[in-house]
Amino acid sequence: MNLIDIRNLSIELKTASKPIFAVDRVNLTMKEGEVRGLVGESGSGKSLLAQAIVGVLDEKWRVDADRFHWRGNDLMRLSPAERKAIITKDVAMIFQEPMACLDPTTSIGEQLEEAVDAEQLTGFFWQKRQQRKQAAINLLHKVGIKQHEVCVKSFPHQLTDALCQRVMIAMALARRPMLLIADEPTAAMESTNQGQIFRLLASLNQLKNMSILLISHDLENVTHWTNTITVMYSGQFVEAGTTEQIFNQPYHPYTRALVDSSPRANRMIPNKSRLMTLPGSIPILQHLPIGCRLGPRCPRAQQKCVHAPKIKNFHSHQVSCHFPLKDSYS
Amino acid sequence: MSTVLLQVSNLSKTYKDKNYWFNRKCVSALEPISFDIMPHKTLAIVGETGSGKSTIAKLLVGAELPTTGDIRLNGQTLAPGNFKQRCQHIRMIFQDSGTTLNPSLTIEQLLDEPLQLNTKLDEVERNQLIRETLQKVGLLADHMSFYPHMFSGGQKQRISLARAIILKPQVIILDEALAALDPSLRSQMINLLLDLQQQMGLAFILISHNLGIVRHFSDEMMVMCEGAVLEFGKTNDILKKPKHKYTKKLIMSQRFQLLNR
Repeated sequence: MNLIDIRNLSIELKTASKPIFAVDRVNLTMKEGEVRGLVGESGSGKSLLAQAIVGVLDEKWRVDADRFHWRGNDLMRLSPAERKAIITKDVAMIFQEPMACLDPTTSIGEQLEEAVDAEQLTGFFWQKRQQRKQAAINLLHKVGIKQHEVCVKSFPHQLTDALCQRVMIAMALARRPMLLIADEPTAAMESTNQGQIFRLLASLNQLKNMSILLISHDLENVTHWTNTITVMYSGQFVEAGTTEQIFNQPYHPYTRALVDSSPRANRMIPNKSRLMTLPGSIPILQHLPIGCRLGPRCPRAQQKCVHAPKIKNFHSHQVSCHFPLKDSYS
Repeated sequence: MSTVLLQVSNLSKTYKDKNYWFNRKCVSALEPISFDIMPHKTLAIVGETGSGKSTIAKLLVGAELPTTGDIRLNGQTLAPGNFKQRCQHIRMIFQDSGTTLNPSLTIEQLLDEPLQLNTKLDEVERNQLIRETLQKVGLLADHMSFYPHMFSGGQKQRISLARAIILKPQVIILDEALAALDPSLRSQMINLLLDLQQQMGLAFILISHNLGIVRHFSDEMMVMCEGAVLEFGKTNDILKKPKHKYTKKLIMSQRFQLLNR
């Protein structure tokens, strides 16, 4: 059974003149125990999509979807309260810049204890306090922090970035979620620390069968850790498939450009040669092109591209383009 | 081979800890280092936070005074405090271009400032130079009357680059200037920097932790840890045969990304 099944999700920004589609008919499906990468550059709406799943978007955004199922339950039909009950139980989210997200005035131990679910505690009220403390320490052990005495007493500013991110993950694990949404968990981190965090997430996925939605702006960063990848551009769905399909045989010109533009991915290119890029820059929300939003930058664009393309499916490799690069590999 | 452009010898920096009586305790941010840079070449500095790579950048542009050592540009010693001479030849680009541009000035005013302070050009010449520079970095001359907030992240980084090259410098220091950009804009920026290096004979000092970019972009690299230089040599040699344990660890931590799947 699919853990989450989203079909044609649109997120609309209500403005004075006309509504803007910040996310325009995006599909996302995740199976249990899957690690899916959600890749897109800034302004691609990937964080909005994550926030829409968790349901923390405020009044000015309107979310609309043909299908929005969480383990078979249609979330669009539930009342906000029911929806919140399901989501808070099963979905957890961690953010970039962990130091900014933790409360600077409270110690790590107190923040963790706050996150522990009261339902997990048993016995009389005088026992619960001790249990809560123990639960917080267990959480720290789960994310690989061994010196819990020091960590519990310290404040966020006393810990390093990677440790703070581990604490964030520990908090997210407090209610034993089925899906962990990691919104750029390693942005602005050292590469050695990035590896630690990714390894921790991978081990959680393996040991607890927790699904992870890994959001990143860099395709090459996540390819090692994901089973499947969804690529977005400027609020539109671009391509989805297994990591190998996306990385080795991208069908969409945009994904092709992303893979080619990274100096790491193709080691064969000579030193100081020109890298392949797309011309122009990412369109801003007020001036989105009609049809396929890649249109003005796309090397393969033709007249047809002023209409938004339908999603084509080649052996579970979905691509949204009128002229996919399918024939160029064979 | 052409002459040495920038010669750094025995440069070091120690901070005194004021909390101790008689200033007894010193923190060494940078052990004495020496290196040379040729025109058209790029030196990459790699290391973790606190390894002293930003200290080098600060010393070179003159934001900090060195404790020992001297910096020679074309054989001339750069006196500490002589900013007139220094900022014409050594310029710096920062990581976050959004916050380093003054939001209340137009692009024309932003680019005009270094010209007014450092050159004797009149207004027409300055205007002409700003137009040329904007075109060089791939923007339009019409962008002159815009404010920084009207640009996207990649374009802001181009404006910082324009501000850096407008005085026709010889050395540009890129302090993590490519880290915050989106991948497609980053490759555009790399292409632009390489083109400018070819045209103007610039020397770059690239401070980065992305080894993929370092490998592609630089000729020589320097691995730093806790203020000391661990390895220094040709980029390809170091990445192929790292000698020091720390360098190996650094490469291993990015190995999974370097491997072709």
